[in-house]
Amino acid sequence: MVIAKSPDSATHSSNYRYLDVDKINKSLDKITGDGAAYAEVRLVAYTDYSATIRDGKLERAIPGQEIGATIRILADGAWGVHSTTDITSLEQQMSPTLKLAQAVAARRSPKDRAISLADVPIIEDSLHWKPKKDVRNTELSERLEHMNLFNDSASGHDNIVSVTCGWHDEHIHTEFLSSEGMNRTWSFQRSLINGMVTARDGSEVVSYRTRFGGEGGLELIESCDINELGVNAKVSALRLLKAQRAPSGKMPLIADRDLTGVYIHEALGHPCEADLVAAGDSCLDGKLGQKIGSDIVTVIDDPTIRGGYGAHPIDDEGLDTTEKCLIKNGILTEYLNHRETAAHFDIKPNAGARAQDGLHHPLVRMSNTLIHGGTHADLDELVEDLDYGVYACGSRGGQVDTGRGSFQFAAQEAWLIENGEITTPLKDVSVSGLTLQILKNVDGLTRESKLAAPGFCGKGQTVPVGDGGPIMRISEALVG
Amino acid sequence: MLPDGALDRLQEGCKAIATRCKVLGIDSWEVVATQSYGHQIDIEGGKISLAAGGGEGGFGIRVLENGKFGFAYLVDITSADKAIKSALSIAKMSPAVEGFVLPSEESAAPVAGLYDNSVVTLSSEDLLIQADAIMSEVASLDSRAVVTGGGIGVSANASAIYSSQGIDAAGITTSHSAGVQISIEENEQLTSSWQSSSSRSKLPDVPNCVARAVDWANLTRDPIKIESSSAESAVMMTSEGFSPLFSVVVPNAIKGEKLARGESFWSGNTGERVVADDLSIIDNATIPGGRSSGARDDEGVPTRKNTLIESGRLVGSLWSTRDAAQQIAEGRIASASSTGSAIRSGHQSPPISGCSNLFLTTKGKVYSYDDMIEIIDDGYIVNSVMGAHTANPTSGDFSVTTSSILRVENGEIIGAVKQAGLSGNLAKALKSGIKLGDDVRSQGSYSSGSMYLPNVLIEHGLRVNPA
Repeated sequence: MVIAKSPDSATHSSNYRYLDVDKINKSLDKITGDGAAYAEVRLVAYTDYSATIRDGKLERAIPGQEIGATIRILADGAWGVHSTTDITSLEQQMSPTLKLAQAVAARRSPKDRAISLADVPIIEDSLHWKPKKDVRNTELSERLEHMNLFNDSASGHDNIVSVTCGWHDEHIHTEFLSSEGMNRTWSFQRSLINGMVTARDGSEVVSYRTRFGGEGGLELIESCDINELGVNAKVSALRLLKAQRAPSGKMPLIADRDLTGVYIHEALGHPCEADLVAAGDSCLDGKLGQKIGSDIVTVIDDPTIRGGYGAHPIDDEGLDTTEKCLIKNGILTEYLNHRETAAHFDIKPNAGARAQDGLHHPLVRMSNTLIHGGTHADLDELVEDLDYGVYACGSRGGQVDTGRGSFQFAAQEAWLIENGEITTPLKDVSVSGLTLQILKNVDGLTRESKLAAPGFCGKGQTVPVGDGGPIMRISEALVG
Repeated sequence: MLPDGALDRLQEGCKAIATRCKVLGIDSWEVVATQSYGHQIDIEGGKISLAAGGGEGGFGIRVLENGKFGFAYLVDITSADKAIKSALSIAKMSPAVEGFVLPSEESAAPVAGLYDNSVVTLSSEDLLIQADAIMSEVASLDSRAVVTGGGIGVSANASAIYSSQGIDAAGITTSHSAGVQISIEENEQLTSSWQSSSSRSKLPDVPNCVARAVDWANLTRDPIKIESSSAESAVMMTSEGFSPLFSVVVPNAIKGEKLARGESFWSGNTGERVVADDLSIIDNATIPGGRSSGARDDEGVPTRKNTLIESGRLVGSLWSTRDAAQQIAEGRIASASSTGSAIRSGHQSPPISGCSNLFLTTKGKVYSYDDMIEIIDDGYIVNSVMGAHTANPTSGDFSVTTSSILRVENGEIIGAVKQAGLSGNLAKALKSGIKLGDDVRSQGSYSSGSMYLPNVLIEHGLRVNPA
């Protein structure tokens, strides 16, 4: 469990290396000589800080440091993986990890294809997305000032029973060495502020959550109008106290940016992940080049959008990140992939590998996922055509069954649409449907597309993501 | 899997950090340490895709000064001074909680069944054999069925706690778990089911979850057309289907501090009937072999059985030491004390209040699966839901989706429904017309702890909206 070195002020320098490059490279060479087709070591050092205040009082502040490293070895067409917080043991763990891979390979039946990796450029460099204000230099008192702004603006009503505000910032430093000669170091930061307002009226109790954040340092939080964030959360919580239960059934739905983002993440993004496609667990298997959405639907996943919560400069296989166009005018154009699935489908790698941290192996994941804007000027223009429907805002999250292609996502608040106007506030609206049906029902998008509130995506491992788009209208969705 | 002397090294680490606390002049401190070791096999697309192993761990330090606490975590003992000073500087900026002191040593009765040496001795090769056995069993149950995802894992988790108040405890627990996503694709129709099993002891080579997953992937094939639109219906939720919703909503509502702050839908109802008369909700960390059992909670207080709801009435709540002191100090309640219900997210967090093994029980009649179906004139059986995490734990409202749902008419299953919405308010739904099954199964949780739930028939308050 002993760690060679913890992150501290001495390691603030971008040039600091936790791994002994020469030693690790020698052990990578040795293990390829012993039978590995490919081997890599990826180390991630986190320095993070989280804090929570409740009703203006500091509840907890947690400074932390984590280091983890994962060895991944491909041998005889199978993977062996070893993860540890003890980075002094990496060289000793190479041989057992090779044996693990060989043991998996030995059990592969003749009908199963061996795993191989798509070729990629071999790069040796350092790439650091430096924030304007390094968040590691922020004092707790400064963090508290920002959080108290939220508390003050969200408090002050007899029906508000509590206001909670949270903070999380992190500096992520990654080192990647491979038997192919890849030698990369990269770093970036994320900063996040969130709040929850709980309101009560008699036995009726509701809560409203809000978040702001992304890739970047303290400057990101400073750019946020926290007062507005708090006021809006308070207004929404108080409105939810009086809101009616949503109607249920099939009807037109208009989704704000938050929900549009969650919708496209769940309904399309996950089924586009090539590891799920290869496992036979995606409704989009075999549909590349086919029309799966309406003409106005174009969807990208782009980790290079600076400031997005899912932004990162290099993927966790050492590839430069790049924009992926998943759907172009309704036609499925690309899966998200990593080197293994790129080889499997004989397609170009597009740097979609992400791991939760240094203790997990990379999977195919989304980053910042958006629908492009359309032609409608604004929300009013989308609403005015509708006799009846629901306008839903703010995300409570979602989920997808990628194999069946069915999904669900929930809104924080909503309104009824009647005769072209937004009318009665609603609560507990959720939307469900089938990916291959509902993408064809998108019939209106406002012009401006941008990322919405930051989110987290779980797929066995949790990673930060950005989602968003324009305001979107779906001609028929199952609202519950 | 478990290195020799692992626990000794953890305890030595705790004591080394404690020594630094004393040197730095801190009177009240608590050091916790965790270290896990494990093996894992992943299955994807009907084959073993990966074998993995490894370990992780670290230390957490809580310091207390005049009712103010600070916390920091670290992985490297040599950086303890920095972490301690950091925790101390946070304590100085924290509000004082009058009467808050770290818990003192009390003897704790050991809980049996938390460690199984036969789990520790399982090698990666053993897990590979088990993975093969699972995939063979799936093929033998249904030649069309494929394990599209899932895997098997074993772990040994060592933990230690050492405090200025005399607490000095350590132990190792084991875990063996398996989960399978079974898909059946035929005639352009794909159905699937995820089921899992977990135990402190060694699981059978082919755990129960495997046959259950194949069953449900089969049961949900060839859906029938439902003419009715959205309507309130009787719904029998299997333990697996009910647990995600229950675990989002109920553990949150029975935390003492949530009740005291008015943030629970049961706030202000102590002593009153909040669920059906014959139902009780009990949290019990002392169950031998329980998934979330332990002799002590995560701040070293001996655990106990806490009856939270008895015969429908709210009679208890869950408290950690600080939450109890804080709510008294802030004048929300007259008295409260630790119920042995402190939980942490590993070494990286200070303790908060939370549940361990949460049981929903009845003093009334319990029903077999078939008996429950016979009772339903017009309703559904739901075995899994999508979006349980989107339920509102504050209000109890939820609106989720299911593709694992069967239609029941006149006491008989007449077929599967392709997809349906399921909505309601769980707190209200539990108030009447609840029947519990006779087979309690342990499930994981979206919040904390483990849920020990039978199948649950909810006769009123849920709306089903077939797609």
